[in-house]
Amino acid sequence: MVIVTLQREDCIGCNYCSEVAPNYFSMDDDDGKSILMESVEKRGFHTMKTHDPDAFDECSYAAESCPVNIIHTKQV
Amino acid sequence: MAKGKVELMAPAGSFESLQAAIDSGADSVYFGVEQLNMRARSSINFTIADLTEISSRCKAADVRTYLTLNTIIYDHDLKLVKRLLDAAKEADITAVIAMDQAVIAYARQIDMEVHISTQINITNIETVKFYALFADTMVMSRELSLRQIKKICQQIKDENVTGPSGKLVEVEIFGHGALCMAVSGKCYLSLHSYNSSANRGACKQNCRKAYILTDKETGNEIEVDNEYMMSPKDLCTIDILDQVVDTGVKVLKIEGRGRSPEYVSTVIKSYREALDAIEDGSYSPEKVDGWMKKLETVYNRGFWNGYYLGQKLGEWSEGSGNQATQKKVFVGRGIHYYPKNKVGHFRIEADKIELGDKILVTGPTTGVKEFELSELMVDDVIAEVAQKGDDCTIPVDFKVRSSDKIYKIIQA
Repeated sequence: MVIVTLQREDCIGCNYCSEVAPNYFSMDDDDGKSILMESVEKRGFHTMKTHDPDAFDECSYAAESCPVNIIHTKQV
Repeated sequence: MAKGKVELMAPAGSFESLQAAIDSGADSVYFGVEQLNMRARSSINFTIADLTEISSRCKAADVRTYLTLNTIIYDHDLKLVKRLLDAAKEADITAVIAMDQAVIAYARQIDMEVHISTQINITNIETVKFYALFADTMVMSRELSLRQIKKICQQIKDENVTGPSGKLVEVEIFGHGALCMAVSGKCYLSLHSYNSSANRGACKQNCRKAYILTDKETGNEIEVDNEYMMSPKDLCTIDILDQVVDTGVKVLKIEGRGRSPEYVSTVIKSYREALDAIEDGSYSPEKVDGWMKKLETVYNRGFWNGYYLGQKLGEWSEGSGNQATQKKVFVGRGIHYYPKNKVGHFRIEADKIELGDKILVTGPTTGVKEFELSELMVDDVIAEVAQKGDDCTIPVDFKVRSSDKIYKIIQA
């Protein structure tokens, strides 16, 4: 399983994650910050769990691209 | 404090700095809200909810307020832009400092005053005329010389270039603080190396590091006179401020929204005194020496006059960062204030303070207060030293709050 988290509050809205991982991230037109699709929010951490085999690579690319390091991925 | 013909604009990255700016004699303050400003990475940005408090505090002190909304803007930012501008208008913020046309257009639509950011990089009178259709104040490119700035100011008068308010366009320049190694707002170094766009307020400051230059063909290291080859010294104009004022600029902006409240306090006080001295004719080399010494006590990378006197090349910093002659050491927190006796109650949580120490107290409402410790009581007994863990009282002429922190200032 792949677990992806997004600390959304610190997002500066640069758009990289949605550019490199469009299947998992999009930009919220309301507040200009990133959205991690299908995620659940708890205390500011938005977490998405998936068995999709592509998720780890794509989301890791997003994590590497994020200038404020608020995206984390792990494979369990 | 006198408010002169040149407006002194202070940076405010926090309520502490905002209060310090007001108390130190700033005529106006600029600040960022949420992520769409050039200090987006900073953790100390204000939120929309703070706008009313910023506005009311500044209005009470007759200080103008400018919202910086000067990053590049994407489609997904547009709603936030409108919400920020609507909230700023609602809170009666004086103006918005803008770069993107979307911001300029919407601000005008809601009849909000617009200032053109240095990110637009204005370098000539025709560009001033173009932006005069939308803006009353414009920041000139930091790469212009005073001669060029003076000419632009003169042409604004001669050709009666007015902004939407009907008044002559006011020219603003940077007076003090960090300079960018690239032309204002045109740096992609951080973006290319870290994916972290300076133009979205997320500059990683690669230019501030030391580098070795190697010729790949021969493998030889090329000798450069300074390994901090891309890190400009900080701009300081206090020693040429009479020439700056003489250009006809109307606003002098102090850089430093990421700086500490005591930085804001020291720099604004120095420039306030200098501007006032120019007006009353008492500006002198001796006074300049005094201000320079004060400015050196807070964060700096060494000083130079920027490009204002027509230098061809930058002057590069000799170190990785701060060259301030003083630093602050956290010692404790405020607990209570006894207004009748004018005594502040503090708890010492680290290190110690002793008589003769230079003390700094900062807080979101208190701002910045500095004094020399001449009297001290620990547990109601007269003392010379207060140690970690001690509760102490100190006579002070300002209100001490539980949100205040107390520091001692030592030589760096």
